[in-house]
Amino acid sequence: MSSHRKSLIVVRRLLQAGPVIVLATLIVFALLKLVPGDVAVTLAGDNASDARIAEIRHLYGLDRPFIVQYAAWLWRAAHGDLSASLISREPVLISILRCFPHTLLIVALALAMAITVGIPLGVAAAARAGARIDGAVMTVASLGVAVPNFWLGMLLVTLFALDLNWLPATGAVALGESVRGAFIHAFLPACALAAGGIAEVTRQLRASLVEILSSPQVRTLHMKGLSPAKIMWRHGLKNVSVNLLTVIGLLFNRMLAATVVVEAVFAIPGMGSLIVNAAIHRDFPVVQGVVFAMVMVVVLLNLATDILYTVLDPRIA
Amino acid sequence: MMSSSFAAPSRRDLLFLVGTAGVTGMAGGRPAWAVEAAKGGGVLKVAAPANPSSLDPATGGSGADHTILWTLYDTLVEWDYATLKPKPGLARWSYPDAKTMVLDITEGVMFHDGTALDAAAVKFNLDRNREDARSNVKADLTSIAAIDITGPQQVTLHLKNPDTALPAILSDRAGMMASPTNLRALGTETNRRPVGAGPWKFVSWADNESVVVTRNDHYWRPRRPYLDGIEFAIIPEAATALRSVIAGEKQMAFSLPARLKPIIDRARQLQIIATPTLYCIQLYFNYARPPLSNVKIRQAINFAIDRAAFVKATMGGLGEVATMTLPSSHWAYDKSVSTLYPHDPAKARDLLDAAGFKNGIDISIGSYNDQDSVQRSEVLQAALGEAGIRLKFTRGTIAEISAQFFGAEKKFDMLLSAWTGRPDPSMTYALGFDQGAYYNAGRECAPELSQLIQQSRESEDLATRAAVFAKIQRFVMENALSAPIAFQYELDALAAMVRGYTPDLLGKPKFENVSFA
Repeated sequence: MSSHRKSLIVVRRLLQAGPVIVLATLIVFALLKLVPGDVAVTLAGDNASDARIAEIRHLYGLDRPFIVQYAAWLWRAAHGDLSASLISREPVLISILRCFPHTLLIVALALAMAITVGIPLGVAAAARAGARIDGAVMTVASLGVAVPNFWLGMLLVTLFALDLNWLPATGAVALGESVRGAFIHAFLPACALAAGGIAEVTRQLRASLVEILSSPQVRTLHMKGLSPAKIMWRHGLKNVSVNLLTVIGLLFNRMLAATVVVEAVFAIPGMGSLIVNAAIHRDFPVVQGVVFAMVMVVVLLNLATDILYTVLDPRIA
Repeated sequence: MMSSSFAAPSRRDLLFLVGTAGVTGMAGGRPAWAVEAAKGGGVLKVAAPANPSSLDPATGGSGADHTILWTLYDTLVEWDYATLKPKPGLARWSYPDAKTMVLDITEGVMFHDGTALDAAAVKFNLDRNREDARSNVKADLTSIAAIDITGPQQVTLHLKNPDTALPAILSDRAGMMASPTNLRALGTETNRRPVGAGPWKFVSWADNESVVVTRNDHYWRPRRPYLDGIEFAIIPEAATALRSVIAGEKQMAFSLPARLKPIIDRARQLQIIATPTLYCIQLYFNYARPPLSNVKIRQAINFAIDRAAFVKATMGGLGEVATMTLPSSHWAYDKSVSTLYPHDPAKARDLLDAAGFKNGIDISIGSYNDQDSVQRSEVLQAALGEAGIRLKFTRGTIAEISAQFFGAEKKFDMLLSAWTGRPDPSMTYALGFDQGAYYNAGRECAPELSQLIQQSRESEDLATRAAVFAKIQRFVMENALSAPIAFQYELDALAAMVRGYTPDLLGKPKFENVSFA
């Protein structure tokens, strides 16, 4: 594919990101305003009164029409100012820059585990489809899908942190502080998150490979005397690579969402903790900021996936 | 202040500390000064259940802030840990007449930035607290008409009406003294750069992650604090907080739910603290409209609740049956009120019958969706069901359900929630039952009760005040304006090396006497 076409894809995707961000943040903002509960009550404190709550609404501009509040937020965001938490006054950008690396590290590590474990398992199961190893792999994969990650997380903590004392039970260390410490803290949460991912990669890869390997084309390759290994690597895996990429892309997005629960289990101050706390207190600048950042990540990831599609299969371009 | 320390508690000990005498003087055969000297140093790592709403006491709003605020700010008035009786803090108070309060401020106290804590600083703080648009404690100080500096270390508060609740009020947010120099420099962005005169100085605060404080070497109390610093890690999930202590990563987790006690019991080398607090699990009623405008139905609900069974079933026994809004250890508790509502389903049915609901009654109720609240609601539903009171629950988040019940929507007839308690009982009754109070969902109040609440602030003598509170409690409970169910125990898990921690009746830990073994 020409670099011109690649640039076109990038520009097109980035242009599409604008409306997606506006729509996503508008919907989230509307939801925050529609559901009962009010940040003014939180701001008014334990000794709230009706008059004080009304005063707070006025003081923080919460009595303005919904669309005016949203437009004010959007205008500031468009100028690079994500505002500050209504409650603690920490700038939202600072919160995100501190929390996102924790979340990204866990998700990246979990994704790496899902790929490095899931692909060999999927290949092994597809290569011996119907055999014992296939049954065993598929049983383990089904378990991986079925086991809730928070439960698995608690089991991992009990065994590796509390009983064996090999790994930390809670918390996170910033990469900038200690690379080793960051990975040690991220390992158990990533394992908890990866279980479902490994299962998904394995199952999807097996299904795609079995389909390809039983196709007339592969039969012909066998008849030509090509070794099974060569057929698997050159023809099997190459043909399913686009499917696999789609699965991995979707998996990343899902893992990003699943960190909300895993972060709570491991007391990781990541994006999940940030948005949960903000949503509970209806602290909308923080919620909006996190949604904005998440949408950006998902859009960029989809963009990267699209570009990789064209590399793996030039017909797509 | 009562000081108490644990003498190497054995594993799986459950320490009930209310009323325990302070352990001072000789310990282990060593003189007191040697014990004191040995206590210095170390950084305590604490799992805190919530991110602070603000580190400016005037602008914050969450009851969970205090544990962190007290490390940074000293208060004009303090209280006895076990009973909450007010006692001098940064200042001594006196009432030359009913409408004048004089505060004599301790000399030589400095804020962390070197500003002197004098009369001008106290006046600045109190004026800010009662006048600043961002202040959440304005309502606490409405009785003050004017504040005069009557000496370098003395301020005089001129009151609009007698208010003897002020000492207790000044032990709360309103009495936390912040550096005027710092506040002036910060303008309106005061939440994140606190400068007080407390035992520790502010180091950092990362939202939802940590708050770090370090020793104030110029603290005014001799030999305090013992700890070099405290690192609060914000861990909202209680089971995770406890795991961090069991794993040895933190040395303390506080405000744990009773369901975690068996896990603490199983853990090695942990101290367990379980003591009563003012935190009262209760049913709030909207009695401004039917059906709960009928006192017989409200009384029936009170008779139908099996409080002892509730404590056993939902709190593993770690609670105190609540027969009024104050626990039995409180200085204003009145025993005669405690016998008004024994568990009596038959009596409840009779009352319903008399109210015209022979076949029982359906009542809408709001409740929260966390694990503990759901369990409470189920136990309550079963108990009230026996008396023919059929509860129709709507569950949601605290913010959502509370706003629906207390706010303009006025949804549900009642709410299963809790009252976290206040340093002075008059605050509890004013905020929960007085005319127009936010936590009085119907906003209505009998003039007699309003008058009693006002009267409770007229005398300085605690016995006289207790007598007025007895009348208030009797009025509230005879009219069944709420249904108190149980006082939650403060449940804390501490590493064995932690010494000197004493819980308090507010259920909000202070660390001034804490040290390491």
